[in-house]
Amino acid sequence: MRYLRQIGIIFLICYISKIISTVIPAKFPSNVISMILLFLLLITKAIKPESIRDFSEFLLKNMAFFFIPSGVAIMDEIPFLLNKIHLILFILFITFVCSFWVTAIIVETMMKRIKGCEEVDHE
Amino acid sequence: MNNFAAEPLFGIIISIAFYLFGVFLREKIKSDFINPLLLTIIGIVLTLILFKIPFDDYNQGGQIINLFLGPATASIAYSVFKQIRILKKWAIPIIAGCIGGSLASIGSVYFLCRVFGFNDALTSSIIPKSVTTPIAIEISAQLGGMPSITVSLVILTGILGALFSPFLIRFFHISERIAAGTAIGVSSHGIGTSKAIELGEIEGAVSGIAMGLSGLFTSIFISLVQFFG
Repeated sequence: MRYLRQIGIIFLICYISKIISTVIPAKFPSNVISMILLFLLLITKAIKPESIRDFSEFLLKNMAFFFIPSGVAIMDEIPFLLNKIHLILFILFITFVCSFWVTAIIVETMMKRIKGCEEVDHE
Repeated sequence: MNNFAAEPLFGIIISIAFYLFGVFLREKIKSDFINPLLLTIIGIVLTLILFKIPFDDYNQGGQIINLFLGPATASIAYSVFKQIRILKKWAIPIIAGCIGGSLASIGSVYFLCRVFGFNDALTSSIIPKSVTTPIAIEISAQLGGMPSITVSLVILTGILGALFSPFLIRFFHISERIAAGTAIGVSSHGIGTSKAIELGEIEGAVSGIAMGLSGLFTSIFISLVQFFG
């Protein structure tokens, strides 16, 4: 019963988000809308965290599992990618490291600045 | 002959079996390079090729697993909510990081594609590779790319994130957990986030937010460039 209710709530939020994504003029993915919607429902206390806890934790813990079919689908694209695959992988890797590094440095530098200012304030 | 592989349960069962085996191997070997998702994908692709099973048969079950991607993404809101106090405090660095990282990703992909002389259709298919699949498909189509190729590249990028993120955190001496989480979410979306969740609750929650924000910013930047370009 408890689990069924939790699954029902989260599926309902996803379904409403699907409808929202087709209604709004901008093209915005329903998955991200459902994330924003659930977040708003939680901070406005419309939904108690306990009422979705078990199912959410199950989904979060096994997140990688749900990407398996999308990954296996690559097999139908392999013939197209094959002659450039080394260059594409090179680009994917370099640009991944580049965006990782830029993001991490910006956040870390700003956090250290803010922490530095706080320490001065306390003195 | 009956086609037993076209049963939806077949796709689900081999996915679970390979995945559990992958998790078991990682617990035994304890290396970040033993990635259950990557092992499962390779294992299933080889099985399908070996037994001459078409992807569409496997995907009878695959579609049912795909159905849970929406709820899985939604559930990130729950982990974000649990970390709300930390996130409120560090909202500005996280947002700045997402904007910088998204621009770095778009810029570096565009630059390298030009260097290697890729045509516009392929370049457009690669540009959205760092963002979450549903947003990436939209951007790819909007730019005149090939969405099916984009999906593959998004998945490959996510796997790179899951494999190399723990190594990059050490390599670049990233000491703040929030910085590490943001970087993972921006550079490798949901699959990276699944790794970030394993690294810690803070990393997971921040990575989830960063994935949403970078998807949002990337689609805004691309629309702006198209509008003015």
